[in-house]
Amino acid sequence: MHEFVQAFRFIAHNGAVAGGPALPSLSHLALETLKVGAIGVAISVLISVPLGVWLGHVHRGSFIAINLGNVGRALPSLAVLAIGDAFLGLGLTVVELALVILAVPPIVTNAYLAVDGVDPDLVDAARGMGMSGWQVLARVELPLAVPLIFAGIRTAAVFVVSTTTIASLAGFSGSLGDVIANETSYHFSGVLGAAICVAALALAVEGALTLLQRSLTPRGLLMVQREHVLGQAGGVPATRVNV
Amino acid sequence: MTASRWSRSRSRIASALSAVALSALSVGLAACGSSSSTTSSSSSTPATTASTATSASSGPGVGKPAVTIGDKNFAEENILGQLYAQALQAKGFTVTLKENVGSSEIIYKALVAGQIDMYPEYTGTLLSAIAEQTKEPASAAAAYTQAKVFVQKHGFTLLNYTPFYDSDALATLPSYASAHHLASIADLKALGKSLTLGAPPEFATRFEGLLGLKQLYGVVPTFKPIAIELSYKALEGGQVDVQNVFSTDGQLLGGKFKVLADPKHVFGFQNVAPVVKQSVLAAEGPAFAATLNEVSALLTIKAIQQMNAAVSIDKQSASSVARQFLVANGLG
Amino acid sequence: MTMLAAAGPVIPNYAAQSSSCEVDNHLFCWRWVAHNWGPVLWPALRQHILLALVAVAIGFVIAMALALAAHRYGALERPTTIVTTTLYTIPGIALFELLAAPVGLNVFSAEIALVSYTLLILFRNILAGLRSVPAEVLDAAEGTGMSRTQTLLRVELPLALPAIVAGLRIAVVTIIALATIVYIIYDRGLGVPIHRALGEGPFKTELIAAGGLAIALALLADGLLVLTQRMLTPWARARAG
Repeated sequence: MHEFVQAFRFIAHNGAVAGGPALPSLSHLALETLKVGAIGVAISVLISVPLGVWLGHVHRGSFIAINLGNVGRALPSLAVLAIGDAFLGLGLTVVELALVILAVPPIVTNAYLAVDGVDPDLVDAARGMGMSGWQVLARVELPLAVPLIFAGIRTAAVFVVSTTTIASLAGFSGSLGDVIANETSYHFSGVLGAAICVAALALAVEGALTLLQRSLTPRGLLMVQREHVLGQAGGVPATRVNV
Repeated sequence: MTASRWSRSRSRIASALSAVALSALSVGLAACGSSSSTTSSSSSTPATTASTATSASSGPGVGKPAVTIGDKNFAEENILGQLYAQALQAKGFTVTLKENVGSSEIIYKALVAGQIDMYPEYTGTLLSAIAEQTKEPASAAAAYTQAKVFVQKHGFTLLNYTPFYDSDALATLPSYASAHHLASIADLKALGKSLTLGAPPEFATRFEGLLGLKQLYGVVPTFKPIAIELSYKALEGGQVDVQNVFSTDGQLLGGKFKVLADPKHVFGFQNVAPVVKQSVLAAEGPAFAATLNEVSALLTIKAIQQMNAAVSIDKQSASSVARQFLVANGLG
Repeated sequence: MTMLAAAGPVIPNYAAQSSSCEVDNHLFCWRWVAHNWGPVLWPALRQHILLALVAVAIGFVIAMALALAAHRYGALERPTTIVTTTLYTIPGIALFELLAAPVGLNVFSAEIALVSYTLLILFRNILAGLRSVPAEVLDAAEGTGMSRTQTLLRVELPLALPAIVAGLRIAVVTIIALATIVYIIYDRGLGVPIHRALGEGPFKTELIAAGGLAIALALLADGLLVLTQRMLTPWARARAG
């Protein structure tokens, strides 16, 4: 276990290697990871949430929306990054492109299921009260959909952190993965230290987004909320492991 | 559900489950069952870590205990591993080749732990990374002798070393070299910071790197970290003026790049010698060491460069490249 | 430095066997794929399948045990969910390294990590499936004199199958994708050729071949399980229309 001791020492030194000059510090790499990830998540959310919400609102495109999640899940991050590298080289743009390709499916699927799955009686009641389509969406469907949409964004965000790290395995430099990919320079203690940081970062992102979700969920919904799994016939919530 | 629908569902469930189970089982069996045993003509497989090709049925190695050879995770080591393994197999020895065991630290640990019996190592690396010796040896022979003394203390020994050495080197484009009249690393001193030098990050902290360049040659360039696999791209693309490469790279054939001479040997000596457990050497008999030494003697810089080129540039497999070399030289 | 015979070694004419497709790194060289299917691609694919199958199988057993326990003793649900969610949130690349420190660079670290990622999905889905059994059905089973175990085996689990298979589907696909990273601690799986290709240029043919195989494998597995799901729930299909 003394490797863990050395790993924590590495972290405490902010990633400085004995006898070494200008290697990027851990905090710098962690920040870079967050920056790259934030851009990816932001773009993905801007594309996916409106799309998924709209499809769910009009109850169309269920085949695409649901299977997009399945296909997205089947794409290994490393393969997508590697193919991007083969065609386009691995700069920031290509990494962001890969992040978006991989993050959009879970968000779309969850947004779709969230809005589509709102109790039809509630929607009918709202229409009966004279609300227009937009109003139904804004005042009824969206608030009820927040938990599941956020679950999708949380999943995608943690997964984006993971993929950004993996991008360094593919040759991109600018994330905590740089350390993990570079054992010759940092030694195993450094790799382990960076791994601990990556894990902590992912958990922190998840935690932060959970808090954000709680603050955005309507009070009444919070009280009745249960995690429910739409495991039967078709609707499978888009969960995504951090590959 | 009504009783009849339930029993129909049950039989559906049963058949579905058995279908899934059967397909999973067959895939699993196919995956486990097909071993990687191949005949000596098609050789062992590069991707699997532990491969056992069939050995020749006669020869001095028949009946001797099985031997496990390891190699590190880059092309040249893969080639060396295949060369040694196949040469031994041709003499009837039973060999398992564990490819891509890892970096120097890791593979040496594996050797000490007994997971492998031998692996090809670079004399300079043995001294600096494993023996942690800071004093630079004065010659290739000295490096070899000091390395041998070190491993002998731990129950291992070194067999003969190869003519080729794979040390770090600095390469540049011929146009840049002629423009600045560069023939050796010493000529870089005059360029000062206007020289951009590319190398992997660890170069900056090593004696066989920036530290030694400063100390022995007075060369203090602008350093640009470049990953190993991007070395030649960076050089061709003009991202760097001078790039850290390896003296046996296949890309150096053909005159596209100029390697600067290293008269003060800042990059040390890096001939290859097999590190073997002394007990294994004794158990395998004299033909074992003799075969390995025969192979090593054939490995000139030209030869290894051609083999590296075939693997890295032409994308041929290390095992087929090694096999062809051995056959052409009567050892396959 | 001892040099042997002045003649030096015979060096085969490797260049004669190369083709411009590989040397110039064209998009996809069928010749390379044909030559290297046996030595490189098929072993990697085989190893990949094995890694994934073992992980999902072990994960399923563990998740089933956890779900059955949580089904019986509801208080177990929350701590199990917290632990499995935490494991699931830790990125694969990190968990592999974290396990390699104590366990070593071997199949055990790889499988322990892969199994960890199946647990949340399978646990949640199995438990939800068990809980979805309507109370009337349970009452009826009790009414016919079935013991608790019999109810479980003959009523609850079969009715939970759709959710279980749905969970298996997600687990299998995600593990197949995750197994591409296993190579950083254990030299097996389709990540090995992908990694090697990345270090050579990148070598496009090998990248596309290995990456494509990983994606195809995941989609194939997903498709097989969808069919299984459909076979098991014809009534659900009818209802969902």
